[in-house]
Amino acid sequence: MHHIANASLTDKVMSSGDSNPAATPTPCVDIQGDGRWMSLHNHFVSNSKDKEPDVLFVGDSLVQLLHQFEVWRELFSPLHALNFGVGGDETQHVLWRLSNGELAHISPKVVVLWVGTHNHGHTAEQICGGIMAIVQLIKDKLPKAYTLVLGVLPRGKMPNPLRERNAQVNKLVKDAVSSLPHASLLNVDPGFVHSDGSISHQDLYDFLHLTPQGYQAVCQPLHAHLKGLLEKQAEN
Amino acid sequence: MSGDEINPAAVAQAVEDVQGDDRWMSQIWRELFSPLHALNFGIGGDTTCNVLWRLQNGELDNIRPKVRFNWASTGPEREKSTAQGNSFVPVMHFIQIRTPNQYLIGPLQVTVVWVGTNNHEHSAEQVAGGILAIAQLLTSRLPKTKVVVLGLLARGDGPNPLREKNAAVNGFLRSWLPRLGQAQFLDVGAGFVHSDGTISTRDMFDFLHLTAAGYRAIAKPLSDLLLQILDETPEEKRASLV
Repeated sequence: MHHIANASLTDKVMSSGDSNPAATPTPCVDIQGDGRWMSLHNHFVSNSKDKEPDVLFVGDSLVQLLHQFEVWRELFSPLHALNFGVGGDETQHVLWRLSNGELAHISPKVVVLWVGTHNHGHTAEQICGGIMAIVQLIKDKLPKAYTLVLGVLPRGKMPNPLRERNAQVNKLVKDAVSSLPHASLLNVDPGFVHSDGSISHQDLYDFLHLTPQGYQAVCQPLHAHLKGLLEKQAEN
Repeated sequence: MSGDEINPAAVAQAVEDVQGDDRWMSQIWRELFSPLHALNFGIGGDTTCNVLWRLQNGELDNIRPKVRFNWASTGPEREKSTAQGNSFVPVMHFIQIRTPNQYLIGPLQVTVVWVGTNNHEHSAEQVAGGILAIAQLLTSRLPKTKVVVLGLLARGDGPNPLREKNAAVNGFLRSWLPRLGQAQFLDVGAGFVHSDGTISTRDMFDFLHLTAAGYRAIAKPLSDLLLQILDETPEEKRASLV
């Protein structure tokens, strides 16, 4: 649910060996007819002008929907958090948004990045490349910020190729950030996959998006981790 | 619409799993075998074709005469309905708190249908025809059940063609649905578009999907209508608490 239909301009093009479509900043083309993706981006840019968030959440529907549940008010509003999640966004869309104004007016201490599950057609390596491009961009624009990358969650009711892809993305990103002092990967999967390989709709109501219960299980440890990071940032 | 043309919005169509994790079929699977839990049959992104397919392929087969009590935040609220449609409905589901032992036995009395905003390939007339086909299917399969069709909401930050299209769909439904006897149209969209033509993210967080505040705004006229329909039900159809 909550999927803004996207048409990535560079999806079809992989001409040069070096170009990674998941790491090439790309806006969403409005194919539905009401321009909502760009409206949201503009809303985020203007909305940030009078805010001073300590934490910025950025990513896809899992970030966007988090803002709609009680857990946001409970755990993250007190941390002075802002939410720039857009449903359906892939890494290259987040990269474009952050390159085009969403970081221009704020200096959060921590950026929480959660993206990658919607990168359909991209390999795990490409998706990792996209995530790392975002990490680098944040470093360039906000030299003092810490980037906390959240692991992509498993999805689908039973084992399927996307689960393997997402697990591989997490592994690759974890390796890539291990040498960086300003970023890390946090695994927020509390164990959604049961011993028989199934995921419950009580946790992921459509086997992709989190229920309130699912969000609680993800957000309690995330919140604790964030508080620790913010305290460390305050000491430095 | 001429009888010779086929309306593509009224052609039942399953969602093809192009992403690779088979989520759409899994959700139906769960619903086929959990009818007691099936209050809400909404699936994000669904078009009229997808809803039609789902209703024709099992989602009505196992509806046993069950009625459930849902405790809303303001107190016990009697709800004898299922809601079918697109991505609006699953979120509404979570505003209600279920108490598992509050089951009543009685006939399914109302079905709420909310679908059409995702039918991007179809004209307004086709979309309305698809919604009508769903209402017709429901009234024929469940003759004692009333059907409430919710009007499509405005969408997008400012005026745009999809708002005009959705308004046109609503216009068709207003005139067509009364002919179905058991079906009626309810417009819950009043107030979302401000005088300057904008929609606020306080009501629709992405200019399409409702926030909790947005849902609260539509819940009032909807629950008023549902209560009115349930009050009109003859005594012998009413459930008694077991």
